Amino acid sequence: MFFRSNISAVRKTLAVAAALLPALQPFTPVLAGPNEQAERLFGRITGSEPSAAVLAQMSSDITANNAAAAAQIAMQDPSFYNVTLRNFAAPMTNKAQSVFVPLNDYTATIIGMIRDNVPFNTVLSADLIYTGNMSGAPAYSPANNNHYLYLDANGADLSTVLVQQTQSTLVGIPSSATAGVMTTLGGASAFFYLGTNRAMVRFTMINYMCDDLNTIMDITRPPDRIRQDPSRSPGGDSRVFLNTCIGCHSGMDALAGAFAYYNYNTLTGQMVYTPGQVQPKYAINTGNFPYGHVTVDDSWINYWRTGPNALLGWNVSLPGSGNGAKSFGQEIEGSAQFATCQVQKVFQAMCLRPPSNAADRAQASKITSDFVSSNYNMKTAFAESAVYCMGQ
Amino acid sequence: MKAPMTPVTVPFLLAAMMALLLGACSGGAPTTQSPNLQATAQVDTYSGPPPASADVQAFETNLWVNISPSGRCGNCHKAGGQSPMFARSDDINLAYSAALTVVNLSQPETSLMVQKVGGGHNCWLASPQACADILTTWISNWASGGNGSATGTQIPLTAPPEQTVGATKVFPADPTLFSTTVYPVVQQWCSRCHSDTAATPQSPYFASSNLALAYSYAQPEISLNSPSSSTFYIRLAQQSHNCWGNPVNCPASAAVMLAAIQAFANGIAVTPVDPTLIVSKALSLTQGTVASGADRYDVHDIAKWEFKEGTGSTAYDTSGIDPGMDLTLSGDAAWVGGWGINFTTNGRAQASTATSSKLYSKLGASGQYSVELWVNAANVTQTKAYMASYSGGDTLRNFTLAQDAFQYEAFARSSVTSLNGQPSLLTNPNNQLAQAALEHVVMTYTPTAGRQLYVNGVFSGDIDSSTGGAINNWDNSFAFLLGNETSGDHPWQGSIRFAAVHDAALTQQQIQQNYAAGVGASYYLLFDVSSLINTPQSYIMFTASQYDSYSYLFYRPTFINLNPAFTPTNPIQISGIRIGLNGAEVPVDQAYIPLSVTIDSSDYSPTTGQLLSPLGTVIPLQNGAASDQFFLTFAQIGTNTRAYVTPTPVAPAPVDLPASSDIGVRVFNEVNSTMAKLSTVPATNPSVNTTYLSVQTGLPTVYNIQSVSSGAQIASAQLAMQYCQALVNDPTLGPAFFPGMSFTPPPSVAFATTSGMDQVVQPLINNLMGGNLASQPSNAAVSSELYNLITDLSACGGAACPTGRTATISMAACTAILSSATTSIK
Repeated sequence: MFFRSNISAVRKTLAVAAALLPALQPFTPVLAGPNEQAERLFGRITGSEPSAAVLAQMSSDITANNAAAAAQIAMQDPSFYNVTLRNFAAPMTNKAQSVFVPLNDYTATIIGMIRDNVPFNTVLSADLIYTGNMSGAPAYSPANNNHYLYLDANGADLSTVLVQQTQSTLVGIPSSATAGVMTTLGGASAFFYLGTNRAMVRFTMINYMCDDLNTIMDITRPPDRIRQDPSRSPGGDSRVFLNTCIGCHSGMDALAGAFAYYNYNTLTGQMVYTPGQVQPKYAINTGNFPYGHVTVDDSWINYWRTGPNALLGWNVSLPGSGNGAKSFGQEIEGSAQFATCQVQKVFQAMCLRPPSNAADRAQASKITSDFVSSNYNMKTAFAESAVYCMGQ
Repeated sequence: MKAPMTPVTVPFLLAAMMALLLGACSGGAPTTQSPNLQATAQVDTYSGPPPASADVQAFETNLWVNISPSGRCGNCHKAGGQSPMFARSDDINLAYSAALTVVNLSQPETSLMVQKVGGGHNCWLASPQACADILTTWISNWASGGNGSATGTQIPLTAPPEQTVGATKVFPADPTLFSTTVYPVVQQWCSRCHSDTAATPQSPYFASSNLALAYSYAQPEISLNSPSSSTFYIRLAQQSHNCWGNPVNCPASAAVMLAAIQAFANGIAVTPVDPTLIVSKALSLTQGTVASGADRYDVHDIAKWEFKEGTGSTAYDTSGIDPGMDLTLSGDAAWVGGWGINFTTNGRAQASTATSSKLYSKLGASGQYSVELWVNAANVTQTKAYMASYSGGDTLRNFTLAQDAFQYEAFARSSVTSLNGQPSLLTNPNNQLAQAALEHVVMTYTPTAGRQLYVNGVFSGDIDSSTGGAINNWDNSFAFLLGNETSGDHPWQGSIRFAAVHDAALTQQQIQQNYAAGVGASYYLLFDVSSLINTPQSYIMFTASQYDSYSYLFYRPTFINLNPAFTPTNPIQISGIRIGLNGAEVPVDQAYIPLSVTIDSSDYSPTTGQLLSPLGTVIPLQNGAASDQFFLTFAQIGTNTRAYVTPTPVAPAPVDLPASSDIGVRVFNEVNSTMAKLSTVPATNPSVNTTYLSVQTGLPTVYNIQSVSSGAQIASAQLAMQYCQALVNDPTLGPAFFPGMSFTPPPSVAFATTSGMDQVVQPLINNLMGGNLASQPSNAAVSSELYNLITDLSACGGAACPTGRTATISMAACTAILSSATTSIK
């Protein structure tokens, strides 16, 4: 075995690798030529290194002032889908926001949508799902993740195997009950798991609005939709509720009504949808405040349209209220912040930093505008962000 | 103008004695001298004519027997004594007639007898409030015929005083003004007791040496809008509470205090009322109609603590059952607003062993009991925290009701359990019944079923595996206490708003009745909106109470007209209700902003009005329950409308972030993907994949180059070694990558020359580093490093090289490049 029988060789090898490390770190920025720009562009988009031929072609495009074409070449590399987009999607599929999670229908659907240029402003409302067309793979099941585990274990190339399907058909729920990735098994098992379904609101805000509750909380919103389970006097001190709890619950509970008919059954491993029947998890600890809101249907209302969160740029052509997860998803997708957030995430992945100064912010704003005008084509965001950060 | 009374919601027992009683008793001589009353009364034997009716009988057994002793009212209100002679012993029927002039059986707490004693008239305890509560209990028992209130009592609504919303004063956040006015007075004259650092600290700590603490405690005692209504002043002027001077002079002490409060109030500007608001008339909490107290099932109370005192160090047992198990507060036990006591870290409220023996005798006789609490746990992390205990230490007890994180736990000594009441009964942890919220918790015990726990009126479902047994092995030397164990090692943190011990196992219906009755003083607040809709006697009624020390609870707003003949023939639109406090709309928790209701004849009832919303809301306390003034505002009521416009928010100016590195590191799967691509070994190669899965979490997970650890470099090297080993050993990939290279000869042959080494070095440079990149080191530099490595390793430490050494050295050279910055930096 190489490791155990050659300790001395290992040490010396590591020493050489380490010796090369500082030499490769350009702590002092240097002007990059087309080759260096192409190499970085490819590396940022794919996480990998280009072949000599690809590097040459991309370099040629850059020399011809067509860096966008070079970016398009990089996005044809399988690593863009298998690595970059997977890393982009994976943290959104679980509460721990871990990247070390198996491939599932949530991740596959995001990758597939981006590959096929599906308008990304349907990611929370569309009746679609992506599965893998791979010989030997078990069929998709709404009760387990075996299909995607097989793809993962067998090195499926996500740039080619993913196939768009109708979610309502595969999952067995009405099309009106589908809400993009939220109603995939991956989404349900993460955010309808136990609890009160408020997690789906919170993590949707984190993942698609780039805002956690601590930045959204607003204690001036009406509290009439706060359910009975939050204590209005935690530990006998109502100041805690009036100064903090209400800030999140007033808006969050009003939105979480959208998921009143959804649950994740831990015994069957399947998402449950009970139209017309509110899930019992909406009526736990009702004695904590008997005069709180009682959920009777799946209606929701967005109180954050008013007040400081009006800055999120809600779509005025939408009513700001509705029933069910799909219309909730459209409310999120329709906001200006949704587009801004997607670009922010992509910018950070490509530039390895958030927009940090006036120039970055101006560029991010332009990319957002282009992203929206390209019918929410995520490749636009990736390409323009990567080009902006390919070096000068 | 006074409107007629309108009964609401609950059935009726006896109507409107109040006006008659007040009229009959007005003008009575003030009582200035307290008779020598004893703490425990001696009951006289009655030998007069028998009761003429069942109600007289109920009066005798529930009230007269308790007040007739000379140690209570019998010393004065006896036959031939002070009128009314309700405590006379010669004729129970005459005593009954006299008593009817001073009681209100429909609302016992409003009885003149109760009010007189509560106002300080010859209370036999140190707390007039406690005497009033005990009297209320006795009168309630009379009213219910000793059977408890199973159906509730009707509460007549009366029109409140008409008050226009006016400019008011609120306490400034800065205590500076307080520190120069009232604070010096209370510090000089009250700090011996009312300070947290006093030898015997007595809450409230308004004379604390900590100014901020003192200020927070002082606010409820001061009325900015009516200084002479301040408790600070009343305690001195009317109740002669620890006045000062030499000789002691209460009027002078009171004058000093009033002047200080006046100076404080004069220094605070008034809060003007926005003239554009559509406002109702104003009310304070205590100007409402008392809504609580009559619906509890108290027949079997043998000990009860309502914590109404709010001051001092004694919580009185107001069950009316002698001996009173009065609790002494110690440690950090403190009063909370809206009736209750709080334990912050380690406190207790404990009865003496002598009075606690009441439990031993009463419960021992019945063989069954219930412990009832209204509690609000400070947290759900505390374990083995004893809320109520009748015990002798950590290992001996008669019973204990405890919190264990999310569970409640009951210990009960009996013939089938240990002397420590074990095994305990715990609620199912999955149900998480114990919450950091106000909860009604009851433990019942019967000789058959043993312990049962009820939370918020619902049986927990947990079965006592010990079943029940006899409790004749109880110990009468134990003490009853709240908030701890007698040994002090099981402190419970939180608030107890009510506690009672019953000498019977309450039924679920009785428990639900007590849960529904709620806790604390609640009132019907009738906000006059008559002028807004041009309809006399129109009100929006809230049920309200002080929720805790920091807030009020308002719930179930209802439109009602006190004219029984009223019918809303013309619909009345009401929308956007906001609650105002001391001249301004409350900025938070306005639950009725979205409300939009039309009052019409189809939904309106002359007796119950029309419910506008079933919701409740919590309103921050500002100046204290005695002086906070509430009102309502409307976006629309009738034809009056006001547009509420929310200001357009202004985006905060963006802030530049610190400059960050222009480059970063590849994360785990990028490293793997890159190594696979460069080495040409597929990532699915079993040995490679196994290594990757074992080291992937050690590889970088974020791009930030500053987060890279030495562990990440080691993990990268491990993975690179595996790739290079697979490459060199693969019969197809190896020759394709290293064309012309043979790994069979020993190093001394294969690497004898530079060209020999280049068979390995140049393919590595060409395939792993790429060419023509200024951002990479030069080929010459890398070649030099690899030559040195190969040469060094080829020496084999001066010994003979083992078989396969050339392949190993080639793998090492490969690893050196593959795990270098070539693959780790992007």
